[in-house]
This record gives sequence, C-alpha cells and structure tokens, in this order.
Amino acid sequence: MDLPTTPPDALLEPGKIPTSITHAPLLRAPEKVRTIFLVTMATACLPLAAGIAFFGWRAAWVAALSITSCAVIERFYFHVTHTPSMLGRSHAYLTGLLLALTLPPFTPWYVVIIAAAFAIIIGKAIFGGVGHFLWQPALVGRFAVAVLMPVLVAPPAVSSLQPDDWPILARGNLVFGDIKNAQHVDRYKGWKIQDQPAKADAFDLPNPARTLARLTNPKDAPAFSALARVRDDISNRKPTALTQLPPLSDMLFGCRPGAIGETCSVVIIIAGMYLIYRNYVKWQLPVSFLVSAALVAAIAPIQLAGPSDTAEWVSMPLLYDGLDVPATLGVGFTYVNYQILSGGMLLAAFFLATEMTSCPVTTGGQVIFGTGCGVLAMLIKLYLDTPIPAFVAVLIMNTFAPSIDAFWLPRVFGQRHFAWLRRKS
Amino acid sequence: MIFQRYGKFTGGIDLPEEKLATIDEQVSSWHLPDELRVGLAPCGGRVAEPTVTTGQAVGQGDLIARANGEGVDIFAPLAGRVRKITAGHIEFSDITGQAEMPPNQPVCEWQKLSAEELLEQIRKSQLPTFARSPRPVIDWLEEAHRHHCSQLIVNAMEDQPFVTADHRLLVEHGREVIEGVRILAKAAHIGRVILAADQSRTSDYQHLTDPADEYEVHRVALPRRYPIGADNILLSVLTGKEVPCGKTPADIGLAVIGPATCQAVYRWVVCRQRLSGRIVTLAGPHVKRPGNLFVRFGTNCYELAGPAEPPIIIGGPMIGRLASPRSVVGPGTNAVLALDPTPPAVSTQCVRCGWCRDHCPTRLNVAVLNDLYELNHIEPADNLGVLSCLGCGVCSYICPARLPLTERMRQLKRALHALPDRNQAAAEDFARHMRRRGIRKKWQMRKKKRKENR
Repeated sequence: MDLPTTPPDALLEPGKIPTSITHAPLLRAPEKVRTIFLVTMATACLPLAAGIAFFGWRAAWVAALSITSCAVIERFYFHVTHTPSMLGRSHAYLTGLLLALTLPPFTPWYVVIIAAAFAIIIGKAIFGGVGHFLWQPALVGRFAVAVLMPVLVAPPAVSSLQPDDWPILARGNLVFGDIKNAQHVDRYKGWKIQDQPAKADAFDLPNPARTLARLTNPKDAPAFSALARVRDDISNRKPTALTQLPPLSDMLFGCRPGAIGETCSVVIIIAGMYLIYRNYVKWQLPVSFLVSAALVAAIAPIQLAGPSDTAEWVSMPLLYDGLDVPATLGVGFTYVNYQILSGGMLLAAFFLATEMTSCPVTTGGQVIFGTGCGVLAMLIKLYLDTPIPAFVAVLIMNTFAPSIDAFWLPRVFGQRHFAWLRRKS
Repeated sequence: MIFQRYGKFTGGIDLPEEKLATIDEQVSSWHLPDELRVGLAPCGGRVAEPTVTTGQAVGQGDLIARANGEGVDIFAPLAGRVRKITAGHIEFSDITGQAEMPPNQPVCEWQKLSAEELLEQIRKSQLPTFARSPRPVIDWLEEAHRHHCSQLIVNAMEDQPFVTADHRLLVEHGREVIEGVRILAKAAHIGRVILAADQSRTSDYQHLTDPADEYEVHRVALPRRYPIGADNILLSVLTGKEVPCGKTPADIGLAVIGPATCQAVYRWVVCRQRLSGRIVTLAGPHVKRPGNLFVRFGTNCYELAGPAEPPIIIGGPMIGRLASPRSVVGPGTNAVLALDPTPPAVSTQCVRCGWCRDHCPTRLNVAVLNDLYELNHIEPADNLGVLSCLGCGVCSYICPARLPLTERMRQLKRALHALPDRNQAAAEDFARHMRRRGIRKKWQMRKKKRKENR
C-alpha cells in the first residue's frame, strides 16, 4: 500500500495554489482543533454555572474578567512578538475559563489579571503557544498567585477566630447575593437545615478541605477527632471533624465553600462524562486519578485525638471502626468520600489533568499519569499544608509527561513483544 | 453463502459507505476511446522496450513492448495506429476493436493440467497483478511457492468508500474468480484457500456457495472497518500472525491476491483470453453517470469522468491520488472518482490529542513521529517502528489539526530507506574533505618551513 512518490504534474506548476488537498487521504473528518477547544469550553461552563448559583455575581465577574484578560493578553503578546495565532483565540478563552474555575469567588480583580498574565505568558506563550506548553496554563496562573500572593487568595477575614472560613450564599440569596456580606455560623448542619435566620447574604462556613487538612497536619494539635470512638467515655468525646463538615449531599451538589468550579461534584462528573463521550478525554485518566487518590486516602495514616488530650496516629482509616456520623456504609468510607470530593480533586481529574497537550499521548501513559496525579494529590493534600493540592500534583505530573511518553512504548504492529527491551543500541 | 465470523483489529475508523450509487449497477463497457496511452512499466521498475514503430498499425492483443529484464511484456489493449512513442508510454490513435469484456468461453479444462503446466501457462501469460502496486503474477506465484505458503487469501474487502469494482466482479463473475484462485493455488501448491468478503454484502454472494464448496474455498465475512482491506491487517485478523516490519506476507507463509487478478488468470488459462482491461468504478457527486465499467488499459481518466471538474481521484479516496490530465487507467486503477474538492487543509499545531495513535491500525505513536519529522530526527523513527506504517491514511483523516500525517510518515519511511546510502555518502564526503584538509595543512606547513628557512 505504498503511495506514488511524485505528486501529480498539474499541481506542480509554480505559483499555483492548489484548490484542494493534494495528497491522500482526500477525505477528512469534520472535527477541528478549534471545535475541541470551544466544546470543552462550553462543557466547562456547566461547573461555572453551578459556581455562579452558589457564589453569586462575583463568580461571574471573576470568570468574565479572567476570560477577557486571557484573550487580551494573548492578543497583546501576538501583537508584540509578531507571532501568527493559527488557532485564533479559542484556547485563550478556554484557559481563562479554567483559570476562573480554580479561583475562589472573592478574588480581587488585580489578582485575576495577574493570574491570567502568568497563565498566558509563562504557561503558554514562552513555550510556543498551543500544542507546545509543558504545564497546563490555567494551573500555572493559579499556582503563581497561590505562591506570590497567598493572602489575597485566602478568604477575607470576617472573624479572626476562624481564619479558614469561606463564604457561601444563603438559600434565599442564590445568584444575586454578595458573598462579601457574610455572617459567621458556629455549628453548621447543612445547607437545607439552616437554623439561624439569614441576617446577611451569605454564611461563613469552614472550608471542608481546610478542616480535613487539620486531621493530618502535624503542626496542629488534634483539636478534635475525626472518628471519635463511640464506646469511649462520654466526657472524653471530642467534636469530630466529620460533624464540622457539611453533609455528603452538600459535598455532591455543591452547596459548600470552595473555589468557583470545584464545589458542584455532580455537574463536574456529568460534564466530564460528556467530554469522554466526545472522545476529548479518555476515561482511563480521570478514573485512574480518582481511584488511586481514593486508595491513598483509604490507607494513609491520620492523626486523631486519643481518650485524653493525646495525639494518636491511625493507619487504614477506611477500616477504622468508630461510628459517630450517620452514615450507613461506615465512617471510613465516608471519610474517603470527603477526601475525594473536597479540594478540587474532581475538577483536576476531569478538566485540568486531561488537557491534551500536557498529558501523555498513549492510553497506558495516561493511566500512569493519572495514577501519579492521584497519589501525589492525596499525599500533598494529607501531609503538606497546601491550599491547592490537586493542582500542584497535576503540575508535577505534567513535568513528567514527556518522559512518560518516551519510555511507555506500546508494541507496534509486527514488532516482537518488549522490542524496546531487546534492542541493543 | 455461509460465512465464518472472525475478530477485529485495534484502531481503524468507520468511514461513510457512499456505495449506494454504484453497488447495484451492472458492469457495462466503456465505448471505444479516441486514443489510448499505454504505460510501458505497469509494475514499476525498468521500462519495457517498444517493438513497434511510429505510424505502425497494431492489432488487438499484439505484442507492443518486450519486458526489459523485469516487469511484464505489454500487449495492445485495442487495435489502432501508433501515434507517438515517449519514454514511458505508447500513444495510439484510430482505435478500433472490441471494447467490451470478452465472453467467458472455456477452451480447455484446467483440472487436467498439472501444477508445472499451469505455472508454465502463467509464466507465458505475462500478466501483472491487478493490485494497487502491480507486479508480475509469476513473480508473486514463485515467491509464494518458494516460501511454502500454507494459505492463499483472496482479499475482496472493499473497505474504501465509493469503490464497488471487486464487489461487482464477485457478483457477476464470481465463479471465474473462484476457479482462478484454485488455479493459482494449484500452481503454487497451496492447500487452503480463503475468500474474505465484506459481511454486509454476503447476501449478494449466495450464488458462490456451490462453486466455493466444489473447489474448497473457505468463505470468511468480516466487518467493514477501515483499513481491514490492507493486506497486513487482513492477515492478522484472519490468522493472528503479524507481518514483521519491512517483510512481505510470504515471509510468514501467507499469500494474498485480489479477485481481479484471479479472473484474469482464469481467462488466460481456461479461455485463452488476455484481459487487457479491468472493472473500474466511476462514482462521486460530480460524475454524470456513475457505474461500474469495463475499461481498457490506457484510457484517459479525465475522459472517463466526463465533463467533471477536477479533482479527479484515481483509486479510493483514502489511499488514491489526484489524477493529472494525462493519467490513464492501469492494472491498479479500481476506481475513478470525482469528489467535492476538499478545501485546502490549513495545518495548525499538533495539540497531542492522540487520536492518530488511537486509530492507527498498527498502533504507531504518530504524534511523536510527527515531532521527529518536524525536528528532522530520522533514526529514532526507526525505533518507534515507522516502517510498519501501512499508509492507510487514517491519521490524516482523523487529525483535528489537519496535519498531513500520512504524507509525513511516508517521507520518514523514504528517508529511513535512504539512510544507509546517505550515511555512506556523508562518510565519503567527510573522508574526502579530511584528505583535502590534510593536504592543505601539509602545504601550509611546507610554506612555513620554507619561510623559516629563508
């Protein structure tokens, strides 16, 4: 099936631009790169819509600002460097939208612009634009502002006692409320059962990711136990971490504090499944990401409060027997679910790790990549005090994506098995 | 016709079928053309020596060029007068003779001939295989015999859109095909013969059941997923054996042939007729009267397609090529198509979506190979197995960045084949350069010494 080596004479006339494709195959599939970017962007609008619902117009403002500044900065870069932009602005829009999804809803406007500048210039343009970058650009921007200005990305201090509290709109004020007008709540029972009448537009609640981080952060004394033993003496019982957290249904449907796009897990999963259906994402990558993260969360030791005020390390929290939370499947399983659903894990697995350019090409390589991402993300989340554990893990694994491509070589048709091992040179 | 079912292969794509316009069209014959332009090297390689002179009148089936060490002798497809002899072609005008396919009139019984006699007959026939890249049938047969091939597979999978020539051949001349493949199998001492056909067309081949049983031809129906019609893929689906890089199917004991060749062999051995034409599918949205035609070799493709606008495509749309105004029908031309001109592909950057790799039937990592092509790194491409590439066009078809990946893979293969020569030439140049430099240095040293001595 070798093709003729010379193109037809008619097309070799100098100066004549061919009016059609000159080489086989003469049929082309309809899908273009631009379509991929735009459809991915439309899909990423679903988590954004959920974010706007729960965080109000400030989330929409952050997203609009992020998309606009990404497009403007890329245009400016092309103008200055005289680089042709072959794919238009579609990828800049997509980057801006993904960046907005990773930012908290109360981010000041200049932080958004700085993040967009980092994303476009450092993350994308200096590598040569679309198709050449090493790290997912939106995450580069997010990482830059998390490192350079952590105070500004952290929540506004409403009360000095609870620095980890993040705001979320009250039930009556969805979409149109202002999250900066927030009121502190002591004990949170879930979005449906708010016992206090809302005096302000929003509530300040403990961010579940930050609450969970206190279980394993060695610096903090265990102020409470995650899985306090029921059979212990009642006077020794501590408030558990799981009662500080919103109920699991809130974790699923998104009525809990967090970044704009990371809260509504159901919508993220639906959007991700659409991407998988369109073949823009291989299902192996998010599945390996989440499964490996869940396994690590199930076996990694956590620090609990003992009977008296002593700290006690417990390994295999999945099997830890001590029920304090109304959960039918066992508290260990609930704990793993909390770990998976908080901290942007799902957003990273479905939207950020799956960026085509910065992840390996082969399916096996993507499984390795996804497993690495999941393990790293959960370890960082558990044992390092980082506000964006999953995103940092994705950035780390992006660095290794070219190496994975280089060493994971599936067998080519007609080659012997493990030909790359047998080769001498 | 009862067909055995077989498996699938990794990768590939489901192409639109687009065969409805011609699938039920009876094979008709093309009228006498005004002029013919017969190629002198249908099998590639050295051009045959013309034995006719300009202005000479030639009868239908007369010898017009003798093979020059390789390839086949060329016979006149129709009667006419030689108008011009160029480097690679003989042009005829004043065409007369019989343009339609000669009727099937058996004059001898091939069953009574021995294998050696059949081989001798086929050697005399000087037929090329009617495949994409033709070669003398006798070469193919001797190679199969030499490698002690155990199975002969008739590749009737027409996996490309629009092409229906082999399908019509099986429907209308199926018995001849089956007898022809038995003749080839007997001549090459091959016991097992398999006819592989499209599983959605088996109802049209009911009438082949009896002759196939009579001549012990196994029938296999396979799903039409492109590129199952590529020989290597078909063999791996049928037998589980993969043709190693740079080897032919005969090296793993399998022989593949197309149905058109089988019919030509049958006509030669049994009817003493030389088929100097073949069934060509004429299709596409810009063809006035689509159909399946018996066309003599040397007919101009643009004349066939009528007043259609370019581009005219020879062969299927996936592995075919654009016709130039002087392209003619040859043994490998199974279709002449006038498609909508696909707008010129503006290539953008590769975004490493990996679709080329996912759909490649040989599991090549085309994205990485494309990087190597762009960086002009040729040797690592060999390690990645680029020589297994079939050139099926799936990667270019699927590429969302519209990169001409198939073309690039072909250039990589060519560069790899040329690499030893290139390295040797470079080494020689380097040696010559070093020699000259050495001489120049010697001269300079001598000059210095002379100066110092003065």
